[in-house]
Amino acid sequence: MTSSADLLADLAADVDGVFLFSPTGSTYEDYREVDGESVVVVAQENDHDAEHYVELPLEFDNVRDRIRFGVEGAMDHGFCADGDVVACAVGVFGDSIDAVIRTPVTESMHSGIYDLFANSRPDPSVVRDVFDVAIELGKKGQKGKPVGALFVVGDAGKVMNKSRPLSYNPFEKSHVHVGDPIVNVMLKEFSRLDGAFVISDSGKIVSAYRYLEPGAEGVDIPKGLGARHMAGGAITRDTNAIAIVLSESDGLVRAFKRGQLILELDPEEY
Amino acid sequence: MIDTSPTPTVESVLSAAVRARPGTLPPLQSAGEVVRSALLSLPARLWLALGVVVLAAFLGYLVVRVNRRILVGAGVPETIEGTAFERTAREFGTSTVSLLANLSGYFIFILGLIVALTIARVEYIAAFWNRTAGFLPSLFLAVLVLIVGLVVGDKVELLIDERLRGVKLPQAGILPGIAKWSVVFIAVLIALGQIGVDTVALVVLLATYGFAIVLFGGLAFRDLLASGAAGFYLLLEQPYSIGDRVRIGDTDGVVQEVSVFVTHVESDGAEYVVPNRRAFTEGVVRIRE
Repeated sequence: MTSSADLLADLAADVDGVFLFSPTGSTYEDYREVDGESVVVVAQENDHDAEHYVELPLEFDNVRDRIRFGVEGAMDHGFCADGDVVACAVGVFGDSIDAVIRTPVTESMHSGIYDLFANSRPDPSVVRDVFDVAIELGKKGQKGKPVGALFVVGDAGKVMNKSRPLSYNPFEKSHVHVGDPIVNVMLKEFSRLDGAFVISDSGKIVSAYRYLEPGAEGVDIPKGLGARHMAGGAITRDTNAIAIVLSESDGLVRAFKRGQLILELDPEEY
Repeated sequence: MIDTSPTPTVESVLSAAVRARPGTLPPLQSAGEVVRSALLSLPARLWLALGVVVLAAFLGYLVVRVNRRILVGAGVPETIEGTAFERTAREFGTSTVSLLANLSGYFIFILGLIVALTIARVEYIAAFWNRTAGFLPSLFLAVLVLIVGLVVGDKVELLIDERLRGVKLPQAGILPGIAKWSVVFIAVLIALGQIGVDTVALVVLLATYGFAIVLFGGLAFRDLLASGAAGFYLLLEQPYSIGDRVRIGDTDGVVQEVSVFVTHVESDGAEYVVPNRRAFTEGVVRIRE
């Protein structure tokens, strides 16, 4: 005789840790300690002052990305280790938790999503802001038409030395930072310009209209992506910058680090 | 028997009434006459005084309502939420806004009462009330300044506390308290000055305190201020910008970041954080290939 609850019991049997993704207050209170161990909370804000907490920079719509980010972040914080098996309580179809997913923690799982945000040269908040801008731009486009854009974030000094201006720089002698409310509008207008945006570690927009000149050997990006992605991927191999690219053809936002594609997001889902 | 002088005081009216007691038993129509003439002699001033009191009460009530509206409209309740003063006020079943609003209302009512008493020419308390009337606006202002000072002090404490929350340093916990009591101290000083207490000693104390802050602040922040001043020039004029090769003093490399206080210069994987002051004292060399 089996009951439906056994299904969940099987999933959650012998796990080394429990992850709660964006739990509500009551959920957290109910499960704050499982088998005497504190659970790991993965959310955008640490509302409940959880002891083990991983900050989500974006509400990843793709559940796999979300779990990867949470697990990698937890590994980085030392909340779990290689070889552990964890149960993740996560909301798949809505904001509230509606699924429990069992996943092993392995090094191979390290896709670098967490690394992209937390251990890059630019501040995590800057990376998040640039993602926000790219997603916004991908959703609305420029005057209804799809646009492409290339943001090179961090290590701006080196990036500037590995690129040349296509025309005069509209951000010359200006002090705008990504995350300022006016910037989204400005970037949207300037996105019709060709070339890349260069953004410094602290989020200052250094230049637009840059033609990137990295060496493109050994860049491993999927075939079929255009020159913009190739340039973006290549510059991250030559410098410590990360590149966030909005594709004009398929409308996806992709992030590159160390010459590799780390993350792919569909702006329509945010 | 009946005082018909043009300035009947309460005293005389009362004495007239006392004399009109049934004990002395004057003829009946004479008693009616006494009441009638008492009523006739009473109205001129006492009715007016009564009217003033009613008007003052009404005005006071109006001011309370309007003030409350203005304070709420100006977002005062949200701004002062969580301050110690507001919490204490709440414990006594009131709030800062109603305290302030009521205060102005009471002020107007008491003023009206004094005017009424003057009109009624209650002589033996007039002398006392005249001095009180002169003193009242100062007292009102003093109480107002004190309440505002307490609330602003609390708010300053909260704000600084929030700003410092990110800094996990136990010693930083003393700063909000210092800021709060500085504001309260100044408010008390102004309030005492308003009601005419000699505050010279306290002012000297304040001056010493302010001087110490400026002196030690200037000493402690000397480098920071110099760097900040230089940073403003660097940000406005941009003699060098991100991506340029520069040499500041004996540090050379590529400029990665220019902020108000420091310039980040990187070369061969080492990132130097150079105070902007040095860009001025030691000069900047731009290296062009």
